[in-house]
Amino acid sequence: MAEESVAAVFDIYRFDPAKAPAPHYQRFTLSLAPHTPVLTALLRIRDEIDPTLTLRYSCRSAICGSCAMQVNAKSRLACETHIGPEMARHGRIVIEPMLNQPILRDLVVDQQPFWQRYDAIEPHLVLDARHPMPDGVANPMTPAEVDRFKETPRCIACAACYSACPAVSADPEFPGPMALAKLYRFVVDPRDHAQQDRLVRIQPNGLWLCLRCHLCTEACPKDVRPSERIRDLKELAIAAQGGTEHGSRHAIGFKENIRERGLLNEFKLVRQTSGVSGVMGQIGQGIRIWRKKPEIMRAPRPIEGMDEVEKIYEALDPKPEGDA
Amino acid sequence: MKLAYYPGCVAQETGKELDLATRWVCRALGIELAEFPTFSCCGSGFLDEANEVLNIALNARNLAIAERAGLDLLTICSTCQGMLTLANVRMKDPQVKARVDGALKPLGIEYRGTVTVKHLLRVLTEDVGLPAVKAKVVRPLNGLNVGAFYGCHLLRPADEMNWESGEEPHSFEDLLAALGATPVYYRGRVMCCGFPIQFVKAETAQRVAGRQIDDAKAHGADAMATPCPLCHISLDSFQNQAAKTVGHPLDLPVFHLPQVVGLALGASPEELGLPRHLVPTDAAVAKIGARAVA
Repeated sequence: MAEESVAAVFDIYRFDPAKAPAPHYQRFTLSLAPHTPVLTALLRIRDEIDPTLTLRYSCRSAICGSCAMQVNAKSRLACETHIGPEMARHGRIVIEPMLNQPILRDLVVDQQPFWQRYDAIEPHLVLDARHPMPDGVANPMTPAEVDRFKETPRCIACAACYSACPAVSADPEFPGPMALAKLYRFVVDPRDHAQQDRLVRIQPNGLWLCLRCHLCTEACPKDVRPSERIRDLKELAIAAQGGTEHGSRHAIGFKENIRERGLLNEFKLVRQTSGVSGVMGQIGQGIRIWRKKPEIMRAPRPIEGMDEVEKIYEALDPKPEGDA
Repeated sequence: MKLAYYPGCVAQETGKELDLATRWVCRALGIELAEFPTFSCCGSGFLDEANEVLNIALNARNLAIAERAGLDLLTICSTCQGMLTLANVRMKDPQVKARVDGALKPLGIEYRGTVTVKHLLRVLTEDVGLPAVKAKVVRPLNGLNVGAFYGCHLLRPADEMNWESGEEPHSFEDLLAALGATPVYYRGRVMCCGFPIQFVKAETAQRVAGRQIDDAKAHGADAMATPCPLCHISLDSFQNQAAKTVGHPLDLPVFHLPQVVGLALGASPEELGLPRHLVPTDAAVAKIGARAVA
């Protein structure tokens, strides 16, 4: 039996810098089956109503990664987002270009910034020059080694994560979720000979600007889970180098902080992360907060059962010998 | 209803007003809080960057404490909620579980995985239920436009948090409406508060915070309300710095979740610790106070 059609209301972002300096939204209403992909609807609008509607697409099968855009403020592939649930939840479907990239026309953005950040992580295996891989000889990996980066090869470089990322929009130094997920893939690839270099280079180059909001993981149509790969990278970077950046010092400081009392000592953590000069720079703000919240200057009482916490640390985070 | 109360670090220290308000609201709604001075920090999304399995083990110990008492766990912080839930999820991986058990078993601790971790927002909307909350409202927040600000770790990754939509949640707005307030829908409500990088790169953190506050204001909010004390630090304690970074005044009061509930249920601003906020809440409180008298 045929599905009952719904009157799908599209409010589409229109922008043509050759005609008008400012964008506007244009409404189209179509009668469509609920399972209709947003992309199919947009192509119908373009083919039957307004041939000037400009968008990028190719495969229509969630493989090429061309049709990422914002559907009701979520970064999505238009080809695999159905109109039914969007209409049910919002009563209309607002279609906008991806965020964090300059808009060229209508739904088409300039992907240069996205690709530049990808190129910057050197997204290819770096082989040992002394032992080049001979032609025609395989360089086998064990299934367990491949499993360490089983998610990242699924990436189709659609940039939905880049569009969804608030760190990208707030700071040009952040490489973005996709570039970092790809970097992780090379760092754990046993054939790569630049692993340590990669970790050392990324630390001061944006790794610690990830906000851990997981919006990239929600947006990713291929379940690459970039935010989790970025967490993995951070742990690897600390293991390789220790605390060289504010971000890594904060994570290590946090760990040592809980080792002492089981709870967070807020003031001490700021000192551990930012150093004495950092604390001095924040003294005015500290006093402002202290006036309302005097606890900021006080260390918390250790929890009961600290002996258990200490033993868990001994088992899973032993201090290096001679450091006790 | 009795729950193991996990206040988290901030509500025991600089965010004490959140603990005050939680206790007031739970008393008013008949939620009994079992306290455990043995709980340790959840790791806050920082400890696992240094050592993930250690973080999971510490939280498995926390969960085992509640399990031994036969109670589910009540959190009042989006980040505690996220980290403790994540421990439950990661413990399903046999390799992770083996390492964690290896550290806990010698201490006589075993976590069998039976504890559900529930944020106060979920307890109020699902277990107590909105009709029961509404029945206790004596000072409806009529006319107050409140922008809910969820806090990332309460929602995402949604397939692991296993509750609300990661990008289009509605429980907080439903609760605000039940209290008589007008929920404000704005894009920033599910965004980041900036807190995680406050000590990595303050300016970027403040830009992120400023954007969400600006967004709430642009959609007509008189106040924001958050279920996360870390968001509260970023949005309230550091709002003056966010204002400096975005280059204009923000002046938007930010409530903790149980404070808006408490106000509607008749608590005084002092009982809810409102004088402890950095951004004064007086104007927002006056707006509903005046209406409650009428």
